[in-house]
Amino acid sequence: MKAAVNQKLTEMGERDRLKELLRAKLTECGWKDQMKAHCKEVIKQKGLEHVTVEDLVVEITPKGRALVPDSVKKELLHRIRAFLAQHTNNLEY
Amino acid sequence: LLTVKPDAVTTMSPAGCPHVNGFKVDNWKQNLRVIYQCFVWSGSAETRKRKAKSCICHMCGAHLNRLHSCLYCVYFACFAKKHIHEHAKSKRHNLAIDLLYGGIYCFMCQDYIYDKEMEQIAKEEQRKAWKMQGIGEKYSTWEPTKRELELLRHNPKRRRITSNCTIGLRGLINLGNTCFMNCIVQALTHTPLLRDFFLSDRHKCEMQSNSCLVCEMSQLFQEFYSGHRSPHIPFRLLHLVWTHARHLAGYEQQDAHEFLIAALDVLHRHCKDDNGKKANNPNHCNCIIDQIFTGGLQSDVTCQVCHGVSTTIDPFWDISLDLPGSSTPFWPLSPGGDGSALNGESHTTGATTLTDCLRRFTRPEHLGSSAKIKCSGCHSYQESTKQLTMKKLPIVACFHLKRFEHSAKLRRKITTYVSFPLELDMTPFMASRYSLFAVVNHQGTLESGHYTTFIRQHKDQWFKCDDAIITKASIKDVLDSEGYLLFYHKQFLEYE
Repeated sequence: MKAAVNQKLTEMGERDRLKELLRAKLTECGWKDQMKAHCKEVIKQKGLEHVTVEDLVVEITPKGRALVPDSVKKELLHRIRAFLAQHTNNLEY
Repeated sequence: LLTVKPDAVTTMSPAGCPHVNGFKVDNWKQNLRVIYQCFVWSGSAETRKRKAKSCICHMCGAHLNRLHSCLYCVYFACFAKKHIHEHAKSKRHNLAIDLLYGGIYCFMCQDYIYDKEMEQIAKEEQRKAWKMQGIGEKYSTWEPTKRELELLRHNPKRRRITSNCTIGLRGLINLGNTCFMNCIVQALTHTPLLRDFFLSDRHKCEMQSNSCLVCEMSQLFQEFYSGHRSPHIPFRLLHLVWTHARHLAGYEQQDAHEFLIAALDVLHRHCKDDNGKKANNPNHCNCIIDQIFTGGLQSDVTCQVCHGVSTTIDPFWDISLDLPGSSTPFWPLSPGGDGSALNGESHTTGATTLTDCLRRFTRPEHLGSSAKIKCSGCHSYQESTKQLTMKKLPIVACFHLKRFEHSAKLRRKITTYVSFPLELDMTPFMASRYSLFAVVNHQGTLESGHYTTFIRQHKDQWFKCDDAIITKASIKDVLDSEGYLLFYHKQFLEYE
């Protein structure tokens, strides 16, 4: 079902719009700055010469996921639900 | 899976990595564009549909897990489960693109690479796709030019802004009753948008002579934000003011409000040379002064006979408010009227509030029988009512409390206390929220007095600027003060 939902969202361009909404919300609430600061710490630890993007992804993903405010999650979910209600009559399961 | 990291790890640089050379052959640029358009940033409905269907991992069918596309063949695989890595190894295809963010991954370097040419293509394709979808421009962070990098290297000293630093604070020497000028300079140098304009060097001077006031203002900002703590001596500013606003010359005490208007006027005129000959019309100037300070005051005159309304809109830089206790009658509004409590002004013992003054300012006024105006509807002189409203509120609203009375009969200072709020909601007058950032006060009498300014600096710290002396102030100090000029800044800016 996830795949079908994803397909619909992508097709209608809603996925990109949601990404942008999420980006704006996460910047507004300071999440982006928090993550940036964390990245800097990781880079300091590992050393600028040796760190890779992968290192950063591994280090900050769990923290990033945990720190997304509930209000943002709620809003995104609400948007997705509203969209699906509007645009889908029958999803292939 | 892949071999252990090579000993010499390539340090990532904007020059990319040597392994892309294998890719950069034939019509590679167009091929890369197609990949971006179809699978990364799909602008059109058609490409989106294709993306939705085909972008799944060829190994496990997942559409998440950081899907990547091989750059050498049509193969999508997820990164998180290392499926794309397997493909890279077995086919010796060493480059892949992240379908979520468009980054290019090199399996030899084992990291994302930054190739200038490829980045350029990526930027262009993203902009194109976003434009098609109506998403708008992406905010891109500042990247220094070669010249800027050079400057930064030659000037290694850096200043750190901490929460308790005193950046932007500097006293001003009094050059002989010049506190009327000093207090306004304090308010202007702490006007957020004006500060941003000057500190980012936005003024390009086209005046031939050395007498550009905007240039001097720019210099002043440099002085204020230089970190020097000794008071600044504004002799050049004073000289320019005397040159351009003759009526303010001399060593007598002048009116701070008059200085504010004169200064804004000269700055506006000198700015106009800035943005060019296209700004012929004084009402359509787009200089920084107009952008920040200019509002529109609508005057509606209603004929009492035919009720026809004649409307004019005049630009304004400040709102002059009459006070109770002056010779012009002030009708106090009924206590508990919705205006006063709106802004949380202290209504202790029925003190007049700023909102009261604003409501009085915008009340309909009956123009008496001795002031009939010619009505175009009735084709004759009729009695009328006049009402002022704010058609357009500026980003910075300056309120001038008319404390100095200069009528034929008397000259005096009105010291009636008017309570003003920290945050001002202009809802009854316009839908907008403003916050206080500077208050100019006058102590003394009409004949001899002294001006000082309270300003809000940095993270909402308030300071009192008394010529060369800057001291910390509390919000209570500010709000309890008499108030002569009140400066409010719009809280949320809308882009036109």
